[in-house]
Amino acid sequence: MSLVSALFLVFVAAVLLLYYVVPKSFRIWVVMLASLVFAGFLGFYTLVFVLISAVLCYIGGLLSGAGRSNGARNAATIITVVINIALLCAVKYYNVIGSASERLDLLFGAVDGANSFFKYAVPVGMSFYVLQTTGYILDCRWEKITPEKNFFKVLLFSTYFPQLMSGPMNTYASLSAEFEKTKEVKFSISRITDGAVRVAWGFFKKLVIADRAAMVVNMIYADHVNFTGWYVPLGVFFFAIQLYCDFSGCMEVVIGVSHMLGIELPENFNCPFFSKTVKEYWRRWHITLGAWLRDYLMYPVLKSAPLIKIGDWSKAKFGKKNGKKVPTYIALLILWFAVGYWHGGLWNYVIGSGILHFVYIVLGMVFEPLFKKIRPKIGADKLYFRIFQSLRTFVLMLTGFVFFRSATVKDAIDMYAAIFRRGGVALNWANFSSSGMDLKNLIVLIAAVLVVVLVDAYKYVPSEDEKAKSAIAFLRSKGIVVLWAAFMFITVATLIFGMYGMGYNAGSFIYATI
Amino acid sequence: MTREEIYVKLNEVFQDVFDDEDITVNDATVAADVDGWDSLEHINLIVAVERCFGIKFTMGETTGLKNVGEMVDRIIAHLG
Repeated sequence: MSLVSALFLVFVAAVLLLYYVVPKSFRIWVVMLASLVFAGFLGFYTLVFVLISAVLCYIGGLLSGAGRSNGARNAATIITVVINIALLCAVKYYNVIGSASERLDLLFGAVDGANSFFKYAVPVGMSFYVLQTTGYILDCRWEKITPEKNFFKVLLFSTYFPQLMSGPMNTYASLSAEFEKTKEVKFSISRITDGAVRVAWGFFKKLVIADRAAMVVNMIYADHVNFTGWYVPLGVFFFAIQLYCDFSGCMEVVIGVSHMLGIELPENFNCPFFSKTVKEYWRRWHITLGAWLRDYLMYPVLKSAPLIKIGDWSKAKFGKKNGKKVPTYIALLILWFAVGYWHGGLWNYVIGSGILHFVYIVLGMVFEPLFKKIRPKIGADKLYFRIFQSLRTFVLMLTGFVFFRSATVKDAIDMYAAIFRRGGVALNWANFSSSGMDLKNLIVLIAAVLVVVLVDAYKYVPSEDEKAKSAIAFLRSKGIVVLWAAFMFITVATLIFGMYGMGYNAGSFIYATI
Repeated sequence: MTREEIYVKLNEVFQDVFDDEDITVNDATVAADVDGWDSLEHINLIVAVERCFGIKFTMGETTGLKNVGEMVDRIIAHLG
């Protein structure tokens, strides 16, 4: 069941009706039932895997918690975490780790294994709930939480339906606290309205923008023999629009639905394309993944005995200031490899969503002392420099998107080569619009993107540590009529301009397939 | 060790890690108050504090400390 489908809206309406009709203490069971039904809609394998993952998570948590010897707790944590991660790797990356020759093929371009059992059995959203359940086991081991004795609470934590497919990733401490609130939540029109506006906004981003931009993206990425020169940056630019509106649109739907149930989920985006640096970008894009990897991977690695030893050695060798950066760089390399690998296991993801960003961030850190000296001399506090910083960061992101969207590394490198290749089709309207992007579609796309930019500009807060402003609160402050008018406008615009209808299947969310 | 004695040593650790002799911290100090205290430098700070006091923070403490006051509470708890 896609999150952008009439079926999903009917499903949510039914869940809401039941949720607010039953006694408050039964609400959590409604959410549980809805989550299992939703997982069932995603397929038999998905249902089986979320159940296995929940059982593993439950047992792992109990055995890792306080009250036993450290050795036994460590063993339980390692075994259950390894099984959890191994399940993800075995199922999701079977094609990548199949054999040495396949690995080489993948490295140099071929994608094989199309008939493997695992290819069909990949449970939807597994990358998200496996990390979330792994976090639960580690939290128990690190005594951040007390292991939950009630299996159904752990089951609900790992299967909660709005976030099952694409996150946002959550911790047990915060999500279970939200579940507790369901006993107190009162039905209110304003809660339902706010949630509905976010859901409509998500549908708008996905159906009006992302799926429309995809026409150009699909044409150019599929054929960079003919679409060369300026077509390549154009295709990558459209992909940036598509990916942002696709993933952030998905999050609007997820967070909006959950808000209607009175269960608040963390934001996953905070105006990422306004970021001044790559480091800042990653604190504004897919925020919960970054936080998860920081807390559960980078910190433990940095605090491990080997890294501390390396740090002591490098400080003695290169001086305190430079030497302490060595273990940081090693931990960052591990972190970014993990980010890339998590996105899909193939080398194009490892490079495009991982290593490339590691290089940008480390270069930024290495040259920071120099930049610090230069900035006052070039008027770095002026608006033009601020705009330059955002544009530079955006362009650096585009260089990664070339890899991210390509099927293989070879494909991505060929795309870069295509920028300088001659002999492709001419850059003109007739060729460009052969993608399906005619004048009407282009005008709709530009207008819709402008609306998104305006909304993000309003929400933007310079400090990435602070929450973005709420556009819904702003509309509400202007009066309920304004909020309802905005809701109607978004809904009607989506109905008229959305890419859907008879014979059209909305593309699945890009991150739901990760 | 009293809270005051812990703060004397803790200030030295902060000054050393962040290379700034003017830093003084108190219960309410948070990362945003100290120039350079970001997610990467946080671990260098934690390791330096552990070495100074001869203790070992758990990962839960490492990622869950909300301010310096909580850090001092945990140091006192570890020192017994």
